[in-house]
Amino acid sequence: MASRSPCVMISDEEPRYDLDLFCVPNHCAEDLDKVFISHGLLLDGTEKLARDVMEDMGGHHVVALCVPKAGHTFFADLLDCIKELNRNSDRFIPMTSYCNDQSTGAIKVTGGDNLSTLAGKKVLIVEDIIDMGKTMQTLLSLVQQHNPKMVEVASLLLKSTPRSIGHRPDFVGFEIPNKFVVWYALDYNEYLRNLNHVCVISETGKAKYKSEAESSG
Amino acid sequence: MSYQKSDLQLLPILPSARAPAGSVTATSSPSVVISDDEPGYDLDLFCIPSHYAEDLKRVFIPCGLIMDRTERLARVVMEMGCHHIVALMNRNSDRSIPMTVDFYQTDKSCNYCSDQSTGDIKVVGGDGLSTLTGKNVLIVEDLMDTGKTMQTFLSLVKQHNPKMVKVASLLVKRTPRSVGYRPDFVGFEIPDKFLVRCALDYNESFRDLNHVCVTSETEKAKYKAEGEHSS
Repeated sequence: MASRSPCVMISDEEPRYDLDLFCVPNHCAEDLDKVFISHGLLLDGTEKLARDVMEDMGGHHVVALCVPKAGHTFFADLLDCIKELNRNSDRFIPMTSYCNDQSTGAIKVTGGDNLSTLAGKKVLIVEDIIDMGKTMQTLLSLVQQHNPKMVEVASLLLKSTPRSIGHRPDFVGFEIPNKFVVWYALDYNEYLRNLNHVCVISETGKAKYKSEAESSG
Repeated sequence: MSYQKSDLQLLPILPSARAPAGSVTATSSPSVVISDDEPGYDLDLFCIPSHYAEDLKRVFIPCGLIMDRTERLARVVMEMGCHHIVALMNRNSDRSIPMTVDFYQTDKSCNYCSDQSTGDIKVVGGDGLSTLTGKNVLIVEDLMDTGKTMQTFLSLVKQHNPKMVKVASLLVKRTPRSVGYRPDFVGFEIPDKFLVRCALDYNESFRDLNHVCVTSETEKAKYKAEGEHSS
């Protein structure tokens, strides 16, 4: 299934920026080599995704469901953009959101509601990054069991990988090459949780992360 | 990257032919260099106010990237280690330019850990020059083209004997028409193209456009009559 709107394609040849051109947390500077996608650019992409989601899913109550790999940054940013659009447009889209802190396994919806509330609703599954698509596939089947009216998937980043199990999200911010990049949502030992730029890892970093080389998303 | 706390001497740089893409002159801090063949991005990949859609061709530098770079520049300025910096805009207008506003924001949120507080950044317009004597002055500019205006303005400022003067420009054009002056702090070194963004445009248009964009042909005609912005 093709995405509903164009996304920024970041190629291997895309220029990378020296770390000292941007604000990067000092403690992880030696693990990083270059800035690949700056945080501000990610925010611009988030804003665009929010607009695309509104245009596509508008007019009905939308339930946004998030199972982030690490933190809620993209989800919160996306919802903020949607709230802003709601404020400034003549079309208001009521949106409920659920976010789970577990990265794998059963999804428990916070607030005590269960997934039966999804029946008949438009559901938006929100991910920071999709790699192989396993988590998304699991989520999709789970959600579909509850007979929503419609389910769509939005992801800020999508890795172009041959290991993908195929389902392409409906909304994608940036498609990135299958390189070993790090980001707060791609952090394998919790050391980079406050890294909000997508960065290319350095040799030092590679040695640290070698055993975690494959993301499982 | 080093700086002197004494008055900045203008380091003469020979006016060059068009610099090769990717070059950075050694006399100022590193900047993001945008090459001559930078394609930019499709308009539909970003949020653009719809009333500009036919005036613009490409997004050249997205707003978010500008914000990130500004944040870094502001931090570099803070690291100069002086307190009570006077930020000076090269125009006789109260209209604050976005970069100065961004500097303010970073100043507020920046935990500058020295026992000296960075104090305040005071912003003055071009008519407040007499207040600069003995002060640490930062001239803030959005876009530098030939450098002629900035060079003139810098001499004017120095006549008032500030303690120190530095110049920061968000965008600096690579152009054969350059007089050779290079600011101390540069956000982006850009090709010699006609670009628009709010506050770069003296016609007061595009004020709600946060990305730096390349205009389409329809707009060029409109702007031709107003003359090229040259600073």
